[in-house]
Amino acid sequence: MSPYNGLNKIMKKILQYIKIIKLGDTFVIVTFMGLIFWSVSQSWNMPSGQYLKIENNQEDSKVFSLNQTVNKQVIGFLGSSEISIAEGKVRFVKSPCTKKYCIHHGWINKINQTIVCLPNQITISIVGDSESYDTVNY
Amino acid sequence: MRFHKLLLIVILFLVSCSQKAPIYEHKDFIFGTIVDIKIYGETEEKSENISNLIFNDFKRLHNYLHPWEKSLISSMNNAIAAGSVFNVDDEEIIRIIQDNKNLASKSENYFNPAIGKLIALWGFHQELPNQMVPKAHQINELLANVTTMDDLKINQSTLSSANRNFQLDLGGYAKGYALDRAKKILANNGVANALVNIGGNIIAIGMHGDRSWIVGIQHPRKPSAIASIQLPPGWSIGTSGDYQRYFMDHDKRYSHLINPRTGFPADNSQSATIMIPPANNSGALSDAYSKPLFIAPEIEKLQLADKLGIDFFMVVLANGDILISSKMNESIQWLEQNNEKNITVH
Amino acid sequence: MKAMTQSIIKPTKKDHTIAKLAAIAIVLSVIEFFLPSPIPGIKPGIANIIILYTLVRFDFSTAAWVSLVRVFVSSIIVGSFLSPTFFLSLFGAIVSLVLLYAVQKLPKPYFSIVSLSLIASFGHIVGQFIIARLWIIPHDSIFNLLPLFLISALIFGLFSAFVCNILLKHKLKKHTF
Repeated sequence: MSPYNGLNKIMKKILQYIKIIKLGDTFVIVTFMGLIFWSVSQSWNMPSGQYLKIENNQEDSKVFSLNQTVNKQVIGFLGSSEISIAEGKVRFVKSPCTKKYCIHHGWINKINQTIVCLPNQITISIVGDSESYDTVNY
Repeated sequence: MRFHKLLLIVILFLVSCSQKAPIYEHKDFIFGTIVDIKIYGETEEKSENISNLIFNDFKRLHNYLHPWEKSLISSMNNAIAAGSVFNVDDEEIIRIIQDNKNLASKSENYFNPAIGKLIALWGFHQELPNQMVPKAHQINELLANVTTMDDLKINQSTLSSANRNFQLDLGGYAKGYALDRAKKILANNGVANALVNIGGNIIAIGMHGDRSWIVGIQHPRKPSAIASIQLPPGWSIGTSGDYQRYFMDHDKRYSHLINPRTGFPADNSQSATIMIPPANNSGALSDAYSKPLFIAPEIEKLQLADKLGIDFFMVVLANGDILISSKMNESIQWLEQNNEKNITVH
Repeated sequence: MKAMTQSIIKPTKKDHTIAKLAAIAIVLSVIEFFLPSPIPGIKPGIANIIILYTLVRFDFSTAAWVSLVRVFVSSIIVGSFLSPTFFLSLFGAIVSLVLLYAVQKLPKPYFSIVSLSLIASFGHIVGQFIIARLWIIPHDSIFNLLPLFLISALIFGLFSAFVCNILLKHKLKKHTF
């Protein structure tokens, strides 16, 4: 079987597949796409956050300012993870988890952006209203 | 269609999850300053009604405790100045006076609400200060026989003082006391989450949704916040600063925070901020106890904080250096680059 | 699991079917677990092809058995049993099954396996997000991950239907089960 024949076969299958899509299916697909557009529009246009919220399995969540350059150790289920805060953004730099998804996620800085490290049970997310505090003490 | 309904329910669930509970904010002008109440998670109507209850109670307190306008306190001051005995048929004022006696003695009279006459001499018993440094002999006269809360004798419902210079000024207590009143009113009306700010003195009730209320701390020399801090449920925060009520004379700043020992405005600090954990009188404490930390000489501040049991404090000294307790330093978030600041942690 | 115990005592024809199909689904799940994912947390869910196939070829209860046996056994194999990942997977499967039950009787002339597949993958996302929001990340910020998950659910839902369609056609010619 030549590669051309193989490709031809797949194209045929795809054509067959498209043929089975019916009116109701189209409705479901369109609704699905609508949901995607809605969810995208909800999460876009989020302003940059000023605060970092860290949650772990042990204590109440803590909020830190993003307006500092510092590395912090966060104790999780497996051990100590390290996060790095710099220039208003934050990322994981060290984690005892095996897959290191949290580190590969890279930097976050927009409100509601979140990195979850499931194995180590640590969540970091960006919070902060347009004002970084609720009231002023003077 | 069944499917359609299910999808709708799921979408509604998602939408409702991502919506935040509303915050309603109400402001009024009482105690010569702005009172700001934020209520989280209640209806607009309830928020407004309860804010008004609180505002009304504050107005009552204002007319009751005001140091120089017509009030119960100024009537008492006039009676004492005239050498007569003052009758009060009022439990609340007796309790307030007892509390002030207690706070003053604990703070070694650095918090001294009995020096109304000295404060008036410096021109701070009027909306706009005099802008004049008093004559040395005037100050020395008052300082020679400086009044303290011990001068005020309570005999059941009569108040008297052998020292006729005694003038009660609750300017460093009333706003904090009002916070404690607000806390009671909110609790009695079932409001679980609110933030009350009376001219910079703040109490946090509950939380702002799933996070604590966050308070910005004013920079004493810039029109912005120097830092912010989470105010956990039930905590109060108070600041004494030389930037609110002051006047300048020959490039020197004279604030309303007068050192009872020197008779002069304290000039070793720009601001002192303290945080007080939940207690019946935490509001009053956060107001009153920021004064000793502002006024006392630098070497005495730490000792005083220790004695008063203040674990969370931050003092911006006259030269801009910062003196901060280790616990405060752990929770505070600096809002400006702090590498040029000289911070000492204790 | 009920199906397995029964198969020792007195295996019915349905039990055999469930066991065979679940075995394939489990193998696919385990393979998927060890395959690297380009985006953390996002998986094609190829085991769903089997669930879908079972639903069309047999009936809803068989598909439900296959799906739940798959969740339990594969989590035990990869060692995630009773971990957050397991509950995410379980609740995703449950919501997916509930939705499938609701829509399996959609009129055939208008709805094909494509709708079933998309609704099933949508159910997985919804179930997992509910668990994640309530338990793992009790914060609205996780809804920011929604677009990514929905897009992948659409793509993989269409893909599962495509593969399942081929399997079903293949079935007509040759008896596998």
